[in-house]
Amino acid sequence: MALNPLTVKKLRRFRSIRRGYVSFLVLAGLIVLSLFGELLINSRALAVSYEGRLHFPTYGANLPGTAFGLGYSYETNYRELKKKFEAESSKNWVLLPPFQFNAFENTPYQNVFKPAPPFFMGGPKGHLLGTDTTGRDIFARLFFGFRVAIFFALAFMTLTYVIGISVGCMMGYFGGVFDLIVQRLIEVWSNIPFLYMVIIIFSVIPSTLSISARVAILLLVMVLFSWTSMTYYMRTATYREKARDYTSAAIVIGAGTGRIIFNHILPNTISTVVTFMPFTIVSAITAVTALDFLGFGLPAPTPSMGELLKQGTQTLTTAPWIVSSAFAALVFILTLVTFIGEAVREAFDPKKFTTYE
Amino acid sequence: MNQVLPSLRWSGRWLLALAGVFFLVGCVKKKEAVVERDNTAEVKAYYAANPNFFRFATPADLPKDLVWENGADLPEIGSPAAKKGGTVYTFLQDYPRTLRHLGPDSNGSFRRWILDDVAVEWAHRHPNQTDVGPKGFHYFSGLASEWAIDKARKTVWVRIERSARWSDGVPITSDDMVFAFFLWRSKYIQAPWYNNFYTTNYAGITRYDSHTFSITLPEDRPDMSARVLELSPQPAHFYKELGDDYVERYQWRVVPTPGAYTILPEDIDKGRSITLTRSKDWWAKDKKNWRYRFNPDKIRFSIIRDTPKSFEAFKKGEIDFFNLSLAEYWYDKLPDSDPLVQSGSVQKSKFYNEFPRPTYGLWLNTSRPLLDNREVRVGIHYATNWPLVIDKFARGDWQRMQTGSDGYGDFSHPTLRSRPFSIEQALESFAKAGFTTRGPDGVLVNAKGDRLSFQLTTGYEALKDVLTILREEALKAGVEFRIEVLDSTTAFKKLQEKQHDISYTAFNVSPEMYPRFWETVHSANAYDNAFLSDGTSGPERKLKTQSNNVTSTAIHALDQKIIAYDRSSSADEMKKLAFEMEEMLFEYAAFSPGQVIPFMRIGSWRWIGYPEDFHVKLGRDFTEWMLFWVDEDKKKETLAARRTGATFPPVIRTYEQHKQKN
Repeated sequence: MALNPLTVKKLRRFRSIRRGYVSFLVLAGLIVLSLFGELLINSRALAVSYEGRLHFPTYGANLPGTAFGLGYSYETNYRELKKKFEAESSKNWVLLPPFQFNAFENTPYQNVFKPAPPFFMGGPKGHLLGTDTTGRDIFARLFFGFRVAIFFALAFMTLTYVIGISVGCMMGYFGGVFDLIVQRLIEVWSNIPFLYMVIIIFSVIPSTLSISARVAILLLVMVLFSWTSMTYYMRTATYREKARDYTSAAIVIGAGTGRIIFNHILPNTISTVVTFMPFTIVSAITAVTALDFLGFGLPAPTPSMGELLKQGTQTLTTAPWIVSSAFAALVFILTLVTFIGEAVREAFDPKKFTTYE
Repeated sequence: MNQVLPSLRWSGRWLLALAGVFFLVGCVKKKEAVVERDNTAEVKAYYAANPNFFRFATPADLPKDLVWENGADLPEIGSPAAKKGGTVYTFLQDYPRTLRHLGPDSNGSFRRWILDDVAVEWAHRHPNQTDVGPKGFHYFSGLASEWAIDKARKTVWVRIERSARWSDGVPITSDDMVFAFFLWRSKYIQAPWYNNFYTTNYAGITRYDSHTFSITLPEDRPDMSARVLELSPQPAHFYKELGDDYVERYQWRVVPTPGAYTILPEDIDKGRSITLTRSKDWWAKDKKNWRYRFNPDKIRFSIIRDTPKSFEAFKKGEIDFFNLSLAEYWYDKLPDSDPLVQSGSVQKSKFYNEFPRPTYGLWLNTSRPLLDNREVRVGIHYATNWPLVIDKFARGDWQRMQTGSDGYGDFSHPTLRSRPFSIEQALESFAKAGFTTRGPDGVLVNAKGDRLSFQLTTGYEALKDVLTILREEALKAGVEFRIEVLDSTTAFKKLQEKQHDISYTAFNVSPEMYPRFWETVHSANAYDNAFLSDGTSGPERKLKTQSNNVTSTAIHALDQKIIAYDRSSSADEMKKLAFEMEEMLFEYAAFSPGQVIPFMRIGSWRWIGYPEDFHVKLGRDFTEWMLFWVDEDKKKETLAARRTGATFPPVIRTYEQHKQKN
């Protein structure tokens, strides 16, 4: 794919901003890593060799204990299976992932369900950051919580931008009555309180819906109430660009509206869009965390940073590691995104490359 | 498209027109609200229309052979050391939705503060002397100066204390009791339970004079005296404006009460706080069994929705006492080693009580798909790991509940035991229901492809961890619980509307002689037209909302037994019926009994006083029976000591005088 030399220049400049570039690499790495999270943090084994046959339980249906000669029909406890095989010193073996707890299982600490401190604070081995109030591994919950949040944020950003940019550009390009009416509509629309809408909508959607459907509805509701802010920036940017000679030239040549908006005007206003992206991601992550915190976000027991934060504030004195892990993780991710944002803004700053009189 | 548009435009116009109409209706309604109303004539007409129920006699008609009693020889409740005065600070999780005593939303958690714990009845069951005597429970006098019970005539006579006054100063008379039956049977109050209960359980009321009346019952039930003596009159003068708009009209009006506490209009700060104020010249303030109770001048409730937040407020001293029943609070958040406890500022008390237990457990809504299958329900019983919850969450302090009517002494089933946690038996039951294969996520699926998955709702935010534990355990048995934690009022509403699959909740049961079945398991509270006259399932069944049969249990044979039980006058027959019904309910498996909490655990600031023996046997929580008081001098002393760092001897006590030996 041949890139516009200007874009290449911008990208090169982005790479030269060390802090932002490194942050980008780290975040991208984390996202890619999270895609394979099940291979890293899981109570399911990576591979089991049982009586000469290899099993790979990580993905796909869960394997009952009976599959490995255990006396129960529910999902195999691979940690115990490994111990059993080792004790038997048979040819069977179990390969466990580096972190051996999933985000849902309750493990008792000192024989009761209460938060266990991280291993370096004297807690049980295996729990990198300790456990939460019902003995679930915090590291696993944070990691999968991050995955949910970041993909939620990416989807949220894509959808709001597609709607916001299209409407905003149309307003700027057509202007006149169309602009006037849509502006008023947006004003009315953006005055509907978002939080109440979330509460109302979640009280009427049937409880039989699956968790993924509920997440999708939450995403949709958030998009519905967030696309408006983008339109104003795009509207002004388009107004400005429309008055320039190249736009007039395109009109004279006979280019269609769509072509002018998306092929001519949009690339010249993209710097505005790009600089907003990281901040949108930040706000989406914060929003979903806040909604979880309030109990209107991702349904329990979906791992989520907001839910951990909430637990943490409730056990501030008895289990400070819950809130500190969740808080540190959230700050870390938001800082990465902000650094990327800064670098992007600097790299795509149009004043660097063009001068207008 | 062209056809759609004009219709849209039309509907727009209609909407506008409709909005206009609503606006007008709103105006009209508002005007109507100020209209004065007097229902004296209507009430009189109602009495006249029911001459068999409402009888008006003269004092000369009183039978001469009555044996009057007043319970004066029973031991006194409360401590003479109690100090009057001061303000007690506590909290509510939700602002009360109404101040009405009756009708929609009136059964919320604030009800006890305007009714159950503060209202005065004719007589009250003695909370320490709880045995069943020849005449039933032991009663001490409240509004009644004396009463007489005649089993043969199925009647209880009551003489009203001459000094008794409503909180607005109006004397309490027999007319208020007569009126109560009009009120409770009235359609205006929108309370079907009341309508039914006070129609079917009472045969008549006779007024002899302004301070003497008698109530006759249809049967001489073993707890006949309780049926009458535990009634409370209703202020006829206050309900003069009763009408179709009762629910809105009386929404925020403070009902006059015979009790010590009332609410001043300026103390209703909606959404923020509400305060009870002790009547200065309360008529019962020197009366035995009442004089050492209701001690603080004011009880102020702030709204704190979040339990941890209210706990922090307690630790700061903004709230005077806190329920530490949860193990997490008793052992971890306020351990004995906590500086607050060690410095003697906060005292920890564990009190074993004895009363019919709130029915904590899973309530399975049998009107839902899959849950209508008994085998599925039995499977869920076996798949619910209560022992693990009791062991690992409650740290062994709780006990397993065995039936839905534990704690009624001889009326509780002696041998029936709740189903244990057993994956094998759960799978066996699910297999009988056709759920034999596990899906890829380990959840059982039947041949039609239905997953064994249910919403599990609760309003107990503080107990939500119980649900995550149950969920993980149930997955082993192939059933999925989807957890939903709502605020308590919403959860209760959902339950009453029968919108739940499974609910983790508890009904508070009052300390009665024998358990009630009609409310929770009679078909009349599950469906309208539940059965045809021959006992077969009615074709036009309609789910009944706003009732406590939250399992939608409808068993024709059980209905017959409930009716026989509710009419029986022999305690032995009732016990037999109760056991049979418990066995039927066990078979039906709609209620999975959860935990019994055999104690209350309280943390209280040093300035909160309580009797030597802490509480009464029937005491369910710290504030019930209103035995506590606040010592303002000690409060000053304690707060000063906090600044200077002075300490007091720590107080951590367990009161086991009423502990049951297993």
